[in-house]
Amino acid sequence: MSDMLDMIIESSNRIFKDNCTKQLLDDAEDGNFAIDLWNIIAESGLSSIALPENKGGAGGDFIDAFNILKLAGKYGLPLPLAETLIAKWLGTELGFTFSNEPVTFSIQKDDNISFKMTGDGYSIAGEAKDVPWASAAKHILLLGKSNEKDVIAFVPLDNAKIIKGKNLAAEPRDHVIFPNILANGLSLREVNCIDISEKSIHLLALAKSAMIAGAAEKVLALSLFYANERQQFGRSLHRFQSIQQHIAVLTGETTACLTAANSAIYALQGGRYEKEIPLAKMKLSESAGVIAMAAHQLHGAIGMTYEHMLHHMTRRLWSWRDEAGNEAYWGKKLTKLIMKDKDSSLWEILTNDKQFTKVEE
Amino acid sequence: MIKLELPVVKFTAEQTEFRNTVREFLIEEKKRGAFESRCDSWLSGESVDFSRKLGQKGWIGMTWPKKYGGRERSALERYILTEELLTAGAPVAAHWFADRQTGPLFLKFGTEEQKNFFLPMITKGECFFSIGLSEPNAGSDLAAIKTKAERTDGGWLLNGSKIWTSGAHLSHYMIVLCRTSPFDPNNRHAGMSQLVVNMKAEGLTVRPIQFLTGQHHFNEVFFENVFVPDNRLIGIEGNGWKQGMAELAYERSGPERILSTYPLLDELIKILRENDDEEGMREAVSLLPELWTLRNMSMGVAKYLEEGHDVNMAAALVKELGTKFETSIAEKARLLLSQLPSIESAELINRFMAQSILHGPGFTLRGGTTEILRGIVAKGVVSQ
Ligand SMILES: Cc1cc2nc3c(=O)[nH]c(=O)nc-3n(C[C@H](O)[C@H](O)[C@H](O)COP(=O)(O)OP(=O)(O)OC[C@H]3O[C@@H](n4cnc5c(N)ncnc54)[C@H](O)[C@@H]3O)c2cc1C
Repeated sequence: MSDMLDMIIESSNRIFKDNCTKQLLDDAEDGNFAIDLWNIIAESGLSSIALPENKGGAGGDFIDAFNILKLAGKYGLPLPLAETLIAKWLGTELGFTFSNEPVTFSIQKDDNISFKMTGDGYSIAGEAKDVPWASAAKHILLLGKSNEKDVIAFVPLDNAKIIKGKNLAAEPRDHVIFPNILANGLSLREVNCIDISEKSIHLLALAKSAMIAGAAEKVLALSLFYANERQQFGRSLHRFQSIQQHIAVLTGETTACLTAANSAIYALQGGRYEKEIPLAKMKLSESAGVIAMAAHQLHGAIGMTYEHMLHHMTRRLWSWRDEAGNEAYWGKKLTKLIMKDKDSSLWEILTNDKQFTKVEE
Repeated sequence: MIKLELPVVKFTAEQTEFRNTVREFLIEEKKRGAFESRCDSWLSGESVDFSRKLGQKGWIGMTWPKKYGGRERSALERYILTEELLTAGAPVAAHWFADRQTGPLFLKFGTEEQKNFFLPMITKGECFFSIGLSEPNAGSDLAAIKTKAERTDGGWLLNGSKIWTSGAHLSHYMIVLCRTSPFDPNNRHAGMSQLVVNMKAEGLTVRPIQFLTGQHHFNEVFFENVFVPDNRLIGIEGNGWKQGMAELAYERSGPERILSTYPLLDELIKILRENDDEEGMREAVSLLPELWTLRNMSMGVAKYLEEGHDVNMAAALVKELGTKFETSIAEKARLLLSQLPSIESAELINRFMAQSILHGPGFTLRGGTTEILRGIVAKGVVSQ
């Protein structure tokens, strides 16, 4: 954690809290990109955190960055902050430079993107599915093939065809089609396709984990408020033992979510992530559903209305638990790693900092 | 806004080294037949010899001051030791309560004489304690206890009975929560005190209660005019409730609330790997995120405890979630293995399963039931 953590957390908390009103979330869902808020965030450096200052970043480390994403989750920030950060972290390492605009990425090895050299630039063909916030981003960090080699390029989205889609929380998840688009002055970086796609999905899984933890905190707070305010049978709801059971479940799962996210964040900062990020994302995805259901049960019918804030958070929980790999996806990966690591008992695997030996896909 | 976050613990190289030392010791002991691994070994694995041996290694009361026989090691090192003992299924029941809560109780509230007398014996693994709280009519509602101590020349006369006392038959002393003033309906928690009662005292009888496995772990203990000398009152007369509550954070948040059935999980993973059963492994792996998270929560509470934070609610949470997890392992294992769990089976995995299933209901009862813990948690967050 950098020295700035407390300060950064305080200022991002203030920015998100003041701006992420119910109205803003409703508007974003109607397709209005919150450009003013994006500008505030970009100017305050939050969209380039954990990038060195000499590379145009705001400094700080992963602990700072993922703590900010936790807050983004808590306030339902309707902006591509996680995507922009990850694209910048990966892109900067490859030598790309970035401005303050929102960017996205698609680094999936199953996408069929091809870059063909033509004149001063490249012709890009192919499709990328479920790209977060493509409709709002100006550029995309894109994995593809060029001359049989795996490459990454930073591609303008101006001429791409975007078919809008959305997740359960109505956050943009778009279909991006490149029908032989000509891009001049494009530079390609050769990469190891597996390494970079693994890296990007791990980072995104941790981002979603942090955001789920933040959203869980908000759901708990909404539930406590409602259990206090709402009266039935002449008493506040929280006086009923069965409601207390819901509150205890929400508190327990939320504490677990925060612990799992924090543990994985610190592990990543310490250079470990192979076990920790999958374990965290599995735990947070599992808790997301439990938390959403308990909170809705506690809220009664009011929680099912668009008027209420609760659904903005629960629909995010239901979306994020499946994005960047759900329990099944990461469970399969962990299974492979554990099956292979024949010489270690489970306890040795859990207590040792050492990472697994690499498994070929 | 409520604060639920716990600190993240990262072990140092020396601490990891210590873990390896403990691990190697346990492997050696097992190899030479000093013990047979079992689930829930902190309730049901007793070995006086093994406890002595741990005492000789300096691994009982290892965080206590040296002048009382301790080693002044850190709480996290004790945490590591505890984890290794439990995951190895080592027989630690005999000295468990003394190490976990009676020693710290003496250190916090005991007189100099008590500390000098009891603590060195405990650290040698030669003095065991049992915990006398529950009574026939006082379970979750502990303030309803009736056992009472009345003043007499040079001490107290104790009358009443305790029930479900784990290891009373092995222990040398028992910490008894009793009334030293009459019950006051307006202040139910007042007038209670903690006494150290010698199990050999005249008028004290221990009657075994057969556990559902047929084995002997807990007991009923009767006091008939048992004399307890003045110097065996702990702390302040009438302050027993408060003193007892202070023990609970230690009692509820430790690794034993997560790892009671761990030997079964480890063995299950081993078998699935040997059988190359990838599908089964995928099922078993679904237990790991919870285990990993709970471990991190419990370690965070341990760190907060050492730093002196109030962790009552977090400790209740760890126990509530941890014990639920402990029972889930056997439920998964039985479906993956389809074997006959049996206490007497020649196969280790079947014994582990039997121990986990049959001891299972106790996990979510002892040390405060799940229902009571959830009440504590709910009231804790609502009042924040
Ligand atoms: C294996 C084992 C070892 C033990 N060892 C010891 C020991 O060493 N020393 C010792 O003193 N005690 C010991 N105990 C006793 C243990 O502390 C009690 O079992 C526990 O406190 C519950 O009390 P009870 O069994 O009387 O159940 P009860 O309190 O009668 O509870 C029965 C059921 O009612 C529920 N209930 C009770 N009150 C409420 C409420 N207000 N709201 C909602 N639900 C409620 C409980 O959750 C439970 O489900 C041990 C128990 C076990 C199982």
